[in-house]
Amino acid sequence: MKMRKFNYIYILAFTLLMAGCKKGYFDLNENPNQVSRPGLPSMLSTATHKSGINSYNVASITSQFVQYLAGPAAGGSTDTYQVVDYSGTWDAIYYALADIYDLRELAVEAGSSEYIGVANVLLAYNLSLAADIWGAVPFSEAFQGGNLTPVYDSEQAIYNEIVSLLDAGITELSKTDATIKLAAASDMIHGTTGDVRPKWLKTAYALKARALIKVSKTPGFNAAAVLQAIDNAYTGNEDDAGMGNFALRNNWAGVARSNAALTLGGWLSEQLVDHLNGTTYGVFDPRIEKITDLTVDGIYIGTVNGAGNRPPNNNTVKDECYVALSSPWTGDDSPLWLVTFAELKFIEAEAALDSDPGRAYNAYIAGITASMNKLEVEPAKRDAYLAEPGVAVGADDLTRNLIFKEKYVVTYLNPEAWNDVRRNDYDYKDFTLPENAVLNTFIRRVAYTNGEASKNGRNVPVVNSLADRLWWDQ
Amino acid sequence: MRRVHYCFLILCAVLMSSFVMGQSRSVSGTITNSRGEPVPLATVQQKGTSTFSSANESGQFTINVSGDNAILVITSVGYISKEVAIGTAASYDIILEESGALSEVVVTALGITREKKALGYAAQEVKSEELNRNLQPNLVNALQGKVAGTTISSVGGGPGQGASIRIRGINSLDIGQSNEPLFVIDGVLMDNTTSESGATRNNQGIGVAHQVRSVGNRASDINPEDIETINVLKGGAATALYGLRGANGVVVITTKKGKAGTMQVNASTTYGLDNINKYPAVQKEYTAGILGEYVPIGLGPAFGPTIEEAKAIDPDHPDELYENYKRAYRTGKQVRHSLNMSGGNEIINYFSSISYFNQEGMMYFTDYSNLTARLNTDIKISPKFKSSVNMTFSNSGGYRFEADRYGESLAYFSPRWDVRDYINEDGTQLWRGTNNPIFGAATNRMKDDVNRFVGGIGFSYTPVRWLDLNYRVGLDTYNDNRFRTAPGLRGIPGESNYDNSLGLVGDYNTNFRAINSTFLATVNTAITSDLNLVVRAGQELYDRRTKYTGVLGQDLTVFDWFNLNNAARLTPSHNLTEYRLMGFFGEINLDYKNYLFLSVTGRNDITSTLRKPNNSFFYPSVSLSYVFSDHFQLPEYMSYGKLRLSYAKIGKDALPYSTVTGYSPYISLPEGVTGFTRADNLGDPLLRPEFTNTYEAGLEMSFLNRRLGFDFTYYHSLSEDQIINALVSSTTGYQSASVNAGSMRNKGVEIILKGTPISNKNFTWDANLNFSANRNKVVSLREGLDEIPYATHPGYGIAQVTMKLVPGLPYGSIFGSHYVRYGHTDDIKLDRSLPIVIGANGFPAVAPVSSQKYLGNSQPDWIAGLTNNFTYKRFTLSTLIDARWGFEKYSRLENFFSSFGIADYTTDRRDFKVFDGLLADGTPNTKSVWLGQAMGPDGEAYGEGYYRLYHRVVSENFVSDASWVRLRSASLSYALPDTWVRRSKFIRNASVSVTGNNLILITRYYGLDPESVSAGSGSNVDGFAGFTYPAARTFLFTLNVGF
Repeated sequence: MKMRKFNYIYILAFTLLMAGCKKGYFDLNENPNQVSRPGLPSMLSTATHKSGINSYNVASITSQFVQYLAGPAAGGSTDTYQVVDYSGTWDAIYYALADIYDLRELAVEAGSSEYIGVANVLLAYNLSLAADIWGAVPFSEAFQGGNLTPVYDSEQAIYNEIVSLLDAGITELSKTDATIKLAAASDMIHGTTGDVRPKWLKTAYALKARALIKVSKTPGFNAAAVLQAIDNAYTGNEDDAGMGNFALRNNWAGVARSNAALTLGGWLSEQLVDHLNGTTYGVFDPRIEKITDLTVDGIYIGTVNGAGNRPPNNNTVKDECYVALSSPWTGDDSPLWLVTFAELKFIEAEAALDSDPGRAYNAYIAGITASMNKLEVEPAKRDAYLAEPGVAVGADDLTRNLIFKEKYVVTYLNPEAWNDVRRNDYDYKDFTLPENAVLNTFIRRVAYTNGEASKNGRNVPVVNSLADRLWWDQ
Repeated sequence: MRRVHYCFLILCAVLMSSFVMGQSRSVSGTITNSRGEPVPLATVQQKGTSTFSSANESGQFTINVSGDNAILVITSVGYISKEVAIGTAASYDIILEESGALSEVVVTALGITREKKALGYAAQEVKSEELNRNLQPNLVNALQGKVAGTTISSVGGGPGQGASIRIRGINSLDIGQSNEPLFVIDGVLMDNTTSESGATRNNQGIGVAHQVRSVGNRASDINPEDIETINVLKGGAATALYGLRGANGVVVITTKKGKAGTMQVNASTTYGLDNINKYPAVQKEYTAGILGEYVPIGLGPAFGPTIEEAKAIDPDHPDELYENYKRAYRTGKQVRHSLNMSGGNEIINYFSSISYFNQEGMMYFTDYSNLTARLNTDIKISPKFKSSVNMTFSNSGGYRFEADRYGESLAYFSPRWDVRDYINEDGTQLWRGTNNPIFGAATNRMKDDVNRFVGGIGFSYTPVRWLDLNYRVGLDTYNDNRFRTAPGLRGIPGESNYDNSLGLVGDYNTNFRAINSTFLATVNTAITSDLNLVVRAGQELYDRRTKYTGVLGQDLTVFDWFNLNNAARLTPSHNLTEYRLMGFFGEINLDYKNYLFLSVTGRNDITSTLRKPNNSFFYPSVSLSYVFSDHFQLPEYMSYGKLRLSYAKIGKDALPYSTVTGYSPYISLPEGVTGFTRADNLGDPLLRPEFTNTYEAGLEMSFLNRRLGFDFTYYHSLSEDQIINALVSSTTGYQSASVNAGSMRNKGVEIILKGTPISNKNFTWDANLNFSANRNKVVSLREGLDEIPYATHPGYGIAQVTMKLVPGLPYGSIFGSHYVRYGHTDDIKLDRSLPIVIGANGFPAVAPVSSQKYLGNSQPDWIAGLTNNFTYKRFTLSTLIDARWGFEKYSRLENFFSSFGIADYTTDRRDFKVFDGLLADGTPNTKSVWLGQAMGPDGEAYGEGYYRLYHRVVSENFVSDASWVRLRSASLSYALPDTWVRRSKFIRNASVSVTGNNLILITRYYGLDPESVSAGSGSNVDGFAGFTYPAARTFLFTLNVGF
């Protein structure tokens, strides 16, 4: 009896001991919460979605520099050109780049020219977002597991990389014989149905035109190459690259809703509002009605950058203009626009201005028209604006400055705006330094992030001043 | 295959040992103490011969005696020697009298009971009475101030709120690694994590540390009244047998057992009241407004005019501001009813209990309740074979709200209005220009509901007197449900819906299951009459599985129907984590003449978180105890003296899946689209185990018949080649990478002083002081990594602070912005003693945000606890004074209070002041400036004023000394005289007591009690204490009756 019980214990103990000895019992070398090889469509959805969100992330910084937006509090750090840590944006761009990099690797393995093409285009797009505000950034050593401290490539090297990525993208997207086609349903930018390859090819050309016009101040600028890219790019608003597939809603709509719920943000700058409401140019631009709402006082008024809320009312009184839910640009379902036909028309106007003023003027008018249409401005108001003497200047009187003045409205909330503003040397009517600015000149770049300083400090280039210009902005 | 071999060897050894030896006239018996508990390992010798034997762990012995009229001499440490005359009987039950207080038998690793004097390392025991004296519902809190080297912090005074525990400081450089000790209850490894699923502001279980609803640490599921003793094992040698899971120390809990005899029943009821123990000091002169102008409805709580000036504008303005820091909270109530029954006979003993605890929080709409039941049985199947079953079930949970959000909303809310008016008749928020925290707590809700079972079955078999075989299997399992609700919009014009946006409903479930199995064989043999040998060998297996699924539904169609089908958008989250660990271990104890004890252990762990061959690793420990007072004669006044020395190497494995790299779901996509993204962490298949080397030395002495004693410990531990998920540059495509890198050192002292200053028939006074100081240093980080920032806490302007690991500095360093100092040269630390540079405008010059400097450290210089027990006749008074000294914390509350003119010191806002400091050229500042806003009396424009432009923007104003000393508890109890009790025939005893907790707090810290933290319990981020759940001063009344 006793002996039998004794045996039971041994059997029980033995069973559990053996459980521990079972082969493979300790080899939990796969993470059940992760996959090791995702499919191409599931990386395409991530890549396209993140690219759209990154356009918002960068624009939420640069829109204050170009004075589309202004901070609600006095002395806001971005408003006043302080050294601000934009780690969140930097990280978002690099995590996106890593996913797109992996998408390209998987596409190369699968031999899909279409996926390789889109990956190259999106790598170029996201890399530009980073390089346009930070200058030199890591790329050649980035995203590879073994190297935890990637070096920074020079500004020019990054620029050359972007152009060659776009060229490679064009080459791949020009191929029509891919066995693995882009999954339109997973394409958050050009997708849902049909063959999205031709759209991406146009977008590759659109981004190339944008990349080439960026060096307009440098000796190597080639206007003809810009026009050549334009010829292969968009032909109408329907071609525009926008990311409108949100988990909840457009990010700017989120800002508008938060502002309404007193998490303040999305306040329009006085510069933008005055640009549109007739104060600066004496012409009322009907697009303002489609960008923002009237204040409680029934007027359009913006906030001065760096000055914050206008006294005497406190900042919860709706007596200034904000990013609006009612706008087709910033509604719940509005796409975040990466690059548009209207913007390309202004690139065309700028590139053609010296060689072919007629083409330039047509592009200028077409750009304004496309922008008005995109913002759903009533045709009568649109045409009235286009007929204004200050707008309809004729091909002979079209100036570079006028092109930039009109393009300023077209690139509302797009990161590209700051590239233009810097290329135009902040030469806009009544464009002044923010109040309480810590620089005595306009901002030209941003500082590297604290995250990089602490985690990759030995590679981070020295930045002396935020007034230092990037290589194409000299 | 080699492993299978290994297992067999152990089993064979065990089986071989079953061969019984022995012959001739043999006498056996059992040695117990006066309470009927076995006295293990006593020496039994036949008087006048060299024949001797020793008893086993259960007090059983067998000895061969020769001749007639044999006499046995039984000796054991801590007991008075006894002589027993042997007659004709074959078996004797021998009871030994205890010789004094120091003859303690303590529970050590794996439940092995050993004499305290034989231990070569520090271990501290807390007994039931002492543990429960201040009636803390969370057993971690119940240990506060009672154990040297142990730092325990409550998250706050909320119902069911958690507490964190650290033994001898922080050991890991990885912020994601727990630094909490292992909890073991009756041999079952017990989970004490704190889950934040569904409790974070973004509802997804990830996010900012302070934006969390504090849910209790899981040890709060255990009823502290069920506990007989808690042993805190601190150093490597003490925890060696527990292996890597004991690397942060072990809390060994032993619950109560039944005793043979008539059934005893104890019933007790406690009622308690909670009130806030410390309020922030607020100004009472200035009312709502902006730039000095009166704005009653707006976001300017207190930068308006004076009350008198406001009344001239607004006749409805109250005569005094509302004391909203009191009015936003209520008196909390708590009640506990418990009943336990115990008893038994020679075969079976049982202890059972049931307890119900309910607490209504001081913060509106927060509560917690907890129902626990326990059954412990010990069965003596035969003299050689015993079994025990311990099990407990609990159901707990309640409504939780985020203290940080509550405090923040309260700071925005102007004292011109009564915060208790929070709701309109139509159910919408009563809007005073900003959110009302009470409305938030009333509508944005989360309730946790946890069902938990912890149980174990143990068997012990003693085939022969020198061999013990023990086996135990334990199960810890729970389901933790979190249900989260917030109504959407009611469609009433102008309604403001706090953080509820368009309504949400979330349902989150965590299923936890851990099984552990422990086998232990003990061989006990006397080699010579002077040398005793105990050899132990065993195996342990731990298998844990945690599965989490959650769904968040947003944008409700019917605004207040909290059903997932009613949500326009659903976001799932899903996670499974499995972990397996096996250890083989052995121990050799040598006892020479009962005064020199040597213990050597070894353990080999095999873990699932590392890959072959790195997943199997061995580490040893050795400890020595030398009781010199038993070796040679000491002066009369020295009653006891012992020296301890130990060395241990402890291994540690990685977090699960640290060797794997893959792709995680990308959850920001719209419904119907799936995507993947690189996982956050870059795994390293070649990770190696991490090792910590610990040295410890100690001296214990007592004097004057043990009326006075001390215990001194010094320890030094160095963890090298740590496994950390190091944060890496995002340009790698990862947030972190698992690497072997970096080292951290802890060293410190622990001193315990015990005394009985007075002891006579009517009055005794016992005092116990524990003091400890730990010094931590980050020795190195990974090559190429200069610092690891691990937490930030927001502030206005550039007042945000960052906690970083920096080589050469201790863990817990707080960095932030500061004023410019004249002649400042230190690149890292801010020297506050240097004069502040005053700008040309007469205000202090603020250094740029890029110049963040070390402003303080969250780890204390020292901690201490002083317990005094006074007994006078039937009265007992116990007090516990607790201190934590020399540490700093950042207060976001004070940052807000400066920003909004709420702090008491902002009443100088209409004064002129010449700031003390030097101009940039080194000459003293003489410029007088106005501290107010807008236009000053001097005709100068001061904009938003000193507080908003210069004070609130700089971190150094809000990182301050958080040292405290408190009267943690005082308790007075009165045992009713027997003569009263006996009138009712069935009552055995009765007592009443009144207890006060947190009665006095002495601190210079601004705001709420600095012990609280702005993070969940168990968090390694302990440097922030601003908007916390206020700590409670509690009064409790208890009636205890025994039947």
